Amino acid sequence: MSIEPIVGRYLTVAVEGEAQRVYFEEAGQGRPVLCLHTAGADTRQWRHLMNDAEITARHRLIAFDMPWHGKSLPPEGFHTREYRLTTGVYMETVLAVSEALGLEHPILAGCSMGGRIALQLAAMHADRFSGFIAIEASDFQPAWYDIDWFDRPDAHGGEMGAALVSANISPYAPETERWNTLWMFMASGPGVFRGDLSFYTEDDSLVGRLDRIDTGRTPVHVIAGAYDLTCTPEDARRTADAIDGATLAIMDELGHFPMSEHPDGFRPFFIDALDRMTRTSGVD
Amino acid sequence: MLTKLKHMQSALNGTRHLLRLGRLFSETVQLRIDGEEYYLVFEKGALVDIAQGPSRKTPYRFALVTDAEALERFWQPRPDPGFHDVFGLVKIGRGRIEGDILVLVKNLRFFKAFMMLGRQEKGVR
Repeated sequence: MSIEPIVGRYLTVAVEGEAQRVYFEEAGQGRPVLCLHTAGADTRQWRHLMNDAEITARHRLIAFDMPWHGKSLPPEGFHTREYRLTTGVYMETVLAVSEALGLEHPILAGCSMGGRIALQLAAMHADRFSGFIAIEASDFQPAWYDIDWFDRPDAHGGEMGAALVSANISPYAPETERWNTLWMFMASGPGVFRGDLSFYTEDDSLVGRLDRIDTGRTPVHVIAGAYDLTCTPEDARRTADAIDGATLAIMDELGHFPMSEHPDGFRPFFIDALDRMTRTSGVD
Repeated sequence: MLTKLKHMQSALNGTRHLLRLGRLFSETVQLRIDGEEYYLVFEKGALVDIAQGPSRKTPYRFALVTDAEALERFWQPRPDPGFHDVFGLVKIGRGRIEGDILVLVKNLRFFKAFMMLGRQEKGVR
């Protein structure tokens, strides 16, 4: 028998004036690290790092389920709405959760769409954070698939979404974690993956904002897996090159969900990223 | 290639959870490899026939068009990036899907699982 150190609770924040009940979980003590999951998934992607005693000895890792995801309910009246995430709502949600938790300049670590919004926040609200770890993150890529595939009344969007994103998992990933990663996509609510992808594949506003990022104030470290077909190493490199002072690491044996699909392979890259998040000038 | 496909057929038809996964899949799929046509006839998830082309009168729902070298790399136990997935082949320009792609997507987990059965027969052509 074992009990993990991860503890989960709920908070309610207002986003665009609307109450959102948000599930979050945390583990560890020390410098706060706010962790953002990918599209179509939830906080379970971070559980391996949150159970890593060496990491949590010096860091307080906090992850939350975006509204519509995981254990965070969709907003009231969801059954009459079409879910489409926007950059504005996403940034407001992250800032609201960080404030509600009283986090003092956390490191922001996000993967995929979480990495994209981390870079948006680095450009637009850097004063609220002390560093950015942008995993499988890039400025913009249009979809190489049809996002409408994943929200159809005549088929299981979760099954199709999982089958699609399996293309982004490395063959080096342990079989158990490959399927645990895919399970989150299989279990996501109808239309949620599509709504996330509409943000990820249609909003290119970050491209023109990368030059606003001041890595002299808040460091930015970009990480990408060689087996990621969605955010390829070339996409990540192009993005890092456009941010003066950003650093980049390529993981030869990992894919798009590194902390979830291959925790042992990702661990040294994440520890290295945390070590790079040295506070510089301009942060209280 | 035909020997390889027959090994995959045998593996599929002997794997209960894959037959269950494909229980609603009764379609003909064309594999076109370096221009050579293979028609895979699936019935309720089982691969009941493999017919070699060319044929101008065999209807099929969708086709995977690729080349033998790409498939050989796809069937390695740990393929290089891009060669590790059917859609990866498409993304890197070594494969193309023709026909009713939505039917493929609706059955993508099943079809990918079938294609990966080739990885169990290392060295078999």
